[in-house]
Amino acid sequence: MKENGIDTKASRFNMWKLHLSVATVTLIPAAVGINYVAKAFAEGLKLPLWLGSLGTYLASMLAGPTAGAISGFINNIIYGLTLSPVSTVYSITSIAIGIVVGVLFNRGWFSNVKRVFVSAILIALTSAIISTPLNVIFWGGQTGIPWGDALFATMIGNHINIWIASFTDEFVLDIMDKVVVAYLAFFIYRQLPQRMINYFKDNQ
Amino acid sequence: MDIRDDSLQKIARRHWYNFVDPVTKLLLALFLTMLSFDFTPLYFEISLVLFSLTLLLLSRLSKATVNAVSFCLFLIVTMVVIQGLFYSHNVHPLFSVMTITFYREGFLYAATMSARILIIIFAIGFFMGTTTVSENAKYLESIGMPYKLVYLLMSVCYILPQIQQNLSKIQFVERARGINPQKTVMQKVRSILPILIPLIIKTFDQSINRSITLQLRGFDRPERTLATPKYPYFKAKFSHYLLSIVILLLIGCKLWQIISRFL
Repeated sequence: MKENGIDTKASRFNMWKLHLSVATVTLIPAAVGINYVAKAFAEGLKLPLWLGSLGTYLASMLAGPTAGAISGFINNIIYGLTLSPVSTVYSITSIAIGIVVGVLFNRGWFSNVKRVFVSAILIALTSAIISTPLNVIFWGGQTGIPWGDALFATMIGNHINIWIASFTDEFVLDIMDKVVVAYLAFFIYRQLPQRMINYFKDNQ
Repeated sequence: MDIRDDSLQKIARRHWYNFVDPVTKLLLALFLTMLSFDFTPLYFEISLVLFSLTLLLLSRLSKATVNAVSFCLFLIVTMVVIQGLFYSHNVHPLFSVMTITFYREGFLYAATMSARILIIIFAIGFFMGTTTVSENAKYLESIGMPYKLVYLLMSVCYILPQIQQNLSKIQFVERARGINPQKTVMQKVRSILPILIPLIIKTFDQSINRSITLQLRGFDRPERTLATPKYPYFKAKFSHYLLSIVILLLIGCKLWQIISRFL
């Protein structure tokens, strides 16, 4: 069924396949590279977004949640070893994002513009729920983004619980980022040649 | 002691850190991090920061570590300000600037967390500065890590520069076509797609080619020759077991501290 965008049935894959095929093994580094470059690109354009999960989204959409989760995990490991060592612990969040995107895509929640928005909210919620304890443990609840932290400081100043303040700080930032990345991934996926989609699906 | 690297045909002098294997270095980083979480007095945290900094300075201070410190410095400053002003257990004033009062409890809390961040950066910096991609790849495969995972980790390091090269080529072409730098956020978001789509298609195309090449070369065949580590390491297995046991004990200790708060 083609619902005004992505043909959901034709794009489905074996969701929980743990064996890594050669195609998936070469897709994952490419996805990590896309994450890295997209993040650098967003920083270069001074966008108030990270875009650092675009490759993870695409890997999940092309080869399933396992590929997406591994892409997210390796992305944070590489980022942690080269730029910010504390980013390594956020690999848990990236794994969850990869899994959620893969599951939602397989169930047809990336088939049209409206559904993509709902998916983005679910992904942002997942990301915020997992990142909040990490923010509290490592950064006292902050996210490191100035205007998000200003919101956090205001809430803490008004004696609101640190967990709620940190979750709000994270969710407000995540919702914007994840919505933009979900739409970017949706539009980019539609532009990919069919032979490319089939190659990764068939060689999963 | 000198070692001859046959592939490069040059003599490389071995330093003390070359006798420590990559996994021990990573476990050491984890051990120092766990210590900083288990024992919170500030003087202990400061001594751990000094220890990890000494370790780093006695080996090699890489540019990546300096970048990581500068990257986190802004966050540390904002953390000290926010916690110093608004930490929920703030009672005793430390100092005042005009009408704004900084509190001792919040300041100490932020200082403890900043120390932890620095410990992680310095310890990982020690690992990064003293190991190479090929050394890590060979060692990980030799100790039994699946070769596919080793390929995944290592190929990223080689693919990244290739993608960045593709990106600058596409950006150059876009500029040559007369696409000007965008000003508003919406214009910037819209300008992303014409650059990202060709970049992503090219990147995936290259990974399909790589996958076909690997298949033709028998990457999936079960019979493989194991890579041999680059250097002989000092008591590698013993260090792994010892550090792993101590780390597990520290994790257990921390979990007990958390659980006992609710009992």
